[in-house]
Amino acid sequence: MTSPTVPSQPPTFRERHASQIRQWRLHMHTFRSSFSTMLGFTLVVIFLVLAAVGPWIVPYPEDTMGAVHMGSRLLPPSAEHWFGTDEMGADIFSRVVVGARTSLWIGLVITGLAALIGVPLGIIAGYKGGWARAVIMRVTDLFLAVPDLALALAIVAALGPGIFNCMLALALVWWPGYVRLVEAKTLAVKEELFVESARSIGATTPWILRHHILPNCLSPIIVKMSMDMGMAILAAAALGFIGLGARPPAPEWGAMISTARSYMPDWWWYSFFPGAAIFLTVLGFNLLGDGLRDMLDPRSRER
Amino acid sequence: MLSFVARKLIALVATLFGVAVLTFIITNIAPGDPARLIAGPNATPDMVETIRTEYGLDKGLLEQFTIYMSDLAHGDLGRSMVSTRPVLDELLRYAPATIELVLVAMVIGILLGVPLGVLSAVYRNGPIDHVTRIFSMSGVALPAFWLGILLQLWFAVDLGWLPVSGRLPLVATPPPTITGMFLLDSLISGQFDLFWTALKYIILPAFVLSMPCVASILRVNRAEMIEVLQSDHIVAARAHGISALRVVGVYALKNAMLPTLAMIGLRFGWMLGTTVVVETVFDWPGLGLYAVSSALSSDFKPVMGVTLFIGFLFIVTNLLVDLAYAWIDPRLRKA
Amino acid sequence: MSALLKISDFSLDIDTFDGTLPLLRNVSLEINKGDTLGIVGESGSGKTMLVRTVMGIGPRQSRRTGGGITFDGIDLTGLDDKGWRKIRGVRISMIFQDPMTYLNPLFTVGQQIVDVIRAHHRAVGEKLPGRAACQARAEQLLGQVGINDPARVYAQYPHQLSGGMRQRVLISMALAGKPDVLIADEPTTALDVTVQAQVLALINELVAKLNLTVIMISHDIGAIAAVASRCAVMYRGEIVEQGRTRDILTAPQHEYTKRLLASVPEFGDQAAVAAKPQSAPLLEIRNIGKIYHSAGRDIRAVDDVSFSVAEGEVLGVVGESGSGKSTLARLLLRLIEPTSGSVHLEGKSLQALSPQELRRMRRHMQFVFQNPHSALNGRHNIADAIGEPLRIQEGLSGRALRAEVERLLDVVQLPRNFAYRYPHELSGGQKQRVCIARAVALKPRILVLDEPTSALDVSVQAQILEFLSELRAEMNLTYVFISHDLTVVNHICDRILVMRNGKIVEQGTTQDVFHAPQQPYTQALLASARATSKEAALAEAAAP
Repeated sequence: MTSPTVPSQPPTFRERHASQIRQWRLHMHTFRSSFSTMLGFTLVVIFLVLAAVGPWIVPYPEDTMGAVHMGSRLLPPSAEHWFGTDEMGADIFSRVVVGARTSLWIGLVITGLAALIGVPLGIIAGYKGGWARAVIMRVTDLFLAVPDLALALAIVAALGPGIFNCMLALALVWWPGYVRLVEAKTLAVKEELFVESARSIGATTPWILRHHILPNCLSPIIVKMSMDMGMAILAAAALGFIGLGARPPAPEWGAMISTARSYMPDWWWYSFFPGAAIFLTVLGFNLLGDGLRDMLDPRSRER
Repeated sequence: MLSFVARKLIALVATLFGVAVLTFIITNIAPGDPARLIAGPNATPDMVETIRTEYGLDKGLLEQFTIYMSDLAHGDLGRSMVSTRPVLDELLRYAPATIELVLVAMVIGILLGVPLGVLSAVYRNGPIDHVTRIFSMSGVALPAFWLGILLQLWFAVDLGWLPVSGRLPLVATPPPTITGMFLLDSLISGQFDLFWTALKYIILPAFVLSMPCVASILRVNRAEMIEVLQSDHIVAARAHGISALRVVGVYALKNAMLPTLAMIGLRFGWMLGTTVVVETVFDWPGLGLYAVSSALSSDFKPVMGVTLFIGFLFIVTNLLVDLAYAWIDPRLRKA
Repeated sequence: MSALLKISDFSLDIDTFDGTLPLLRNVSLEINKGDTLGIVGESGSGKTMLVRTVMGIGPRQSRRTGGGITFDGIDLTGLDDKGWRKIRGVRISMIFQDPMTYLNPLFTVGQQIVDVIRAHHRAVGEKLPGRAACQARAEQLLGQVGINDPARVYAQYPHQLSGGMRQRVLISMALAGKPDVLIADEPTTALDVTVQAQVLALINELVAKLNLTVIMISHDIGAIAAVASRCAVMYRGEIVEQGRTRDILTAPQHEYTKRLLASVPEFGDQAAVAAKPQSAPLLEIRNIGKIYHSAGRDIRAVDDVSFSVAEGEVLGVVGESGSGKSTLARLLLRLIEPTSGSVHLEGKSLQALSPQELRRMRRHMQFVFQNPHSALNGRHNIADAIGEPLRIQEGLSGRALRAEVERLLDVVQLPRNFAYRYPHELSGGQKQRVCIARAVALKPRILVLDEPTSALDVSVQAQILEFLSELRAEMNLTYVFISHDLTVVNHICDRILVMRNGKIVEQGTTQDVFHAPQQPYTQALLASARATSKEAALAEAAAP
C-alpha cells in the first residue's frame, strides 16, 4: 500500500467516459421520446434557420426595408404572395421571415442581459448571506413587486419609445427572476455536505463557487433561459403592439399586428401570419425549455 | 397569528415605499429634461419653464424626492396633462374595471387550471396529460393581442354571439356605482339583464387574459400533485385504506395547493400588468388602457400613477396569498 | 389450518432505462394467524418492495412475472381499488419507517385518524359514526398506544410531536380498522435508541393484547428478535433462509446469514487496543459553546464544553439526536464559528488563525461526513473528488495528480477504474471509502468522523470499521469518532464522552463508562442499547 505507485495504462476514451456516455444516451432518450419536446426543438430550429438566412431566401427582400408597391395593396394570400400583402403592398411572407432575425436579437439581448445581471447577484446573495443578501433580495423584491409589463411600460415611457429602449426596459424587468432562481438554488446547494466537505479541505470561496455551486445551478438557469427566450420575444411584441416598441416599417411582428389591427376584419391575413409566427416561436422555446427540464432535472424523471 | 399579520403589514408598507422610490428613479432616468417630458412634445419654452417651477424641478434631487414622497403620503399623484384632472381621481375611476376584469380572469384560471392539473397528474402520461400539456404550453405562448383579435373576429364578427369591445353597449346605462364593478353592482341592484349584458362583454377579454394563467396554474398544480402523490404520507394514507378519491382530492390536493397558491398570486400580478395589452385590444376602459394612452401622448404622471397603483394592488395580493398560506400550513402559523 | 397470507413463488421485475431488473425472485412465504414474522435484509434486498407489493402500493413500473399472493383466499395481485378498500387498513395495515414524512403535515392528528376510522366504516358497509363518536374512538386509539393525553395530541399537528410520539400516532392509525395483519416496515430505524426500545415494547404489548399477526421488516436483527418468533432472511430479492428466529440466530444455515450475523458487532466487544499511556494532547477544546438563535429563542447546541484529545487515541463522542454532537464535530475543525471558547491544535488556537492560515492548517485535520451520498458532488467523478484536496493544497495536476489518485484508490481498496465513475454509480460503502480517501489524501494528523457508518448497512459498517482501524495503525492517525451507536463506539474507542443537551454528562475510558457508568442518563442509554443488542437478541431467541 505504501510502495510507490506506477500510473497504470491510461484507459481509452470510451472507458474514461463510459458514465457520461450513458448519461447522454439517457438524456437523448428522454428528449427524443417526448413528442412535445421534439416539436419544440423543431420549431426552434426552423426559427433559428430563418433568422440566420432569412434575408437571402425571401422572395421580395426589398419589401422588408419599407418598399412601397401601391399597385399591390392588401392582396389576399396567393401563389405569388403566400401570406398576402400589406397596406404598402409589401409581401407579408418576406416581412414575417425577416422578422425572425429581429425577434432572435430581442430574445438574446433581453435574456442575456438579464442572466448576466441576475446570476452573479443570485449567487452572491445565496452564498454570502448577511447584509449582501438582504440588500440584493430587497431590491429584487421591489422590482418583482411591480408586474413586469407595467414596469416595462413605465420605463419605456420614461426613456422614450423604440426597439432599443424596449429591450433595455425588458432586460431591467427580467433580471430579478434570475436572482430569485439562482439564490434559491444556491441556498439549497450550499447546505449540501459536499460544500462543507470542500471547505473542510481548505477550498477558497471562488473555488467552491466555480466547482460546486455554479455547476449545480446550471441546469435550472439553462431551462429558464430557454423559456425566457420565448417570453421575452412575446413581451417585446406586446410593447410593439401597444406602439411603444419597434416602429413600422421595421419588420417586427408585434408592430406589424399593431398596424394590421385597423385593417380587421376584412384583411385578416395581415395580422394572422405575424401573430402565428410569434405564437409558434414562443411555443417552440417553451416546449424546448420544458423538455430540457425533464431531461436535466432528475426529480421529474422516474429512473 | 396577529403578530404574523402585523409583520406582513409592516413589510407591505416598506415595499410600497420602495416602489415609490423606484418610480421616482424611473422618472429621473429619463434622458433630457424632465420638465420637457412632463410638458409633452408640443409645449412652448415658456410652458416648460412654468412646469419646471411648478413641479419644483429646479430644486435639488433630494428635495424633489422629499416633496414627491410627502405628496404621495397625502394622496397627491400629480395631474394629468391631457385631462388636467388629478391622477388619483382618474385611477380610482378606472381601477374597478381592471380589478373586475382580472378577478373574472382569475376565477376562470383557477376553475380550469386546478382540476385539469389534478387530472393530468393522476392520469400522467395518458391522453389527458398529453392534451393538457400542449394546451398549457400554447396558453402561455399565445400572444394576448393576437388571440384577442382572432376571437373578436370569430365570436363577435363572424358568429355575432358576443360584443367586439367595451364594457357595455353605448346606449346602456351602467348600474349605480357601489363597487364600480358592473357585474357586482348590477347584481346588488337587482338588474339581472344588465348583469347578463355585462357578462357577455367581459367574457372575451377575461378569457384572453386568463389563458396563460390557466396554463401556468395547470402546470404547477400538475407538477406538485405528481410529487405529492409519490410522497410518503400519501403512500401511508393509501395503506390505511382511505379511498383513492379522498387521497387525491383532499390529502394530496391540500399539499399541492401551497405552491399553486404562490403561482396564483404571481399570475394575479402578471395579469394586472398584461391588462395594458388586453385592455388595448378590447377598448376596456381600465388602468391598462389609461396607462397606454397616457404613455402614447407622453403624459407622464398618469403612467407613474398606474405603475404605483398596480404595484400597490399586487403587494396587497401577495399579502393575501401569504395569509392563505398560513391558513393552509400550520407550520407557518407559529413562525 | 390454511395460511392467512400466502406468497407463493412470487417474482417481480422493474423496467428501467438500462433494461429490466429483477426485484423479487421466487419468494414464498406463509403467514398463519397469530404469527409474528420478521424479515431481515440489508438495503436493496427487496424486503420493503415485497411488503409494499403485498399492500398493492409497489412502484408503478414494476411487473409481476410469476407466482401469486393470496390473503384469506382473496387473490391480491389482481385487485382493483374497490377490492383494496376492503383490505387495506381493515384486514392488513402498515406502519412505516420515518414517522415524520409518513404523516400529512397539513392535517391535525385527529383529522387523520378520524378519516381512517370513517374509511373503515365505509369499507365494511357500516353506518358512519358521528363526530363525537369518531373523536372518542380516536382518543381511545391514541390511549391504546401509550399516549397519556390523547385529547391534546388529537388537536395537534405532526410537527408539534416528537419522533417517538409520531410513531405511536402512526401505529394507532394502523390499528384503527382492527386489522388482522400488521406490517411494520423498519418501525424503529429513524428513532433514538431509548425510544426504539419503547416502541418495540409497545408492539409486543399490542400483539399480546389484540392477538395481532405481525410482519416486521428490519435490517436490525435485535429489533426482529425482540418481536418475531419466525424469521426470513432476504438477500438480493430472494429469501435465502426462513425458520424459527431462534434457529436462524443460533444456527444459521445459509452463507449470507452467517456473514450477516458475524458482522453485527457484539455489545460486550471491547476495544481491541488497551488504553495507551497518555501522550501530549494533540487537540484541546477550551470552554467551547455554540448558541443558535431560532424563533426568538437561544438554543445552546453546545454549552461550555472542555476536553482534550491525545495523540494516537480514538475518542468517542456519544449522544442521541439533538445532543449537539454534530455541532461539536464542526466546531473542532472551525467549520462553524463558536459563540465562545476556543480549539487548540498542538497549542495553537484555531480561532486566532487568519482565513489563509486556517485553510493551510486544514490539511492536518480532516472530516468524514455522516452521509456519503450527499458528501460527494454528483457532477464530479471520483478522480475529481479524491483529487480536489490535492489540487487545492498541493497544487498537483496532470500525471502527478492521477498517480496520487490511483495510490489513494489503492489505499481505500477500490479498483483503479473507479476514478472515472460518478458517485451515483457507487454503493454507500464505496462512497464512504471515497470520502475517506479524500480525507486522508493530505496525510492529516487527526480525523473527525461524524457517524461515518450510520447511513450504511451493517455488513458494510463492519468492513468500514475494520478498515478505519487498519488505516489508523498505518497512517498513525488520531480519531474523534462521533456516534449514536454505543455498540460501535464500544468496539473501536479508547475513551468516551457522553453528551446530552449540549453538555458532557460523563467521560472516561471505554471500560469505565461501560462497566461503571456514574450518571443515570448514561445508565439509561446503556440499558436501551443492551436491550436491542445482538446478545439480547440471542438470549431472547434462546428463551422458550
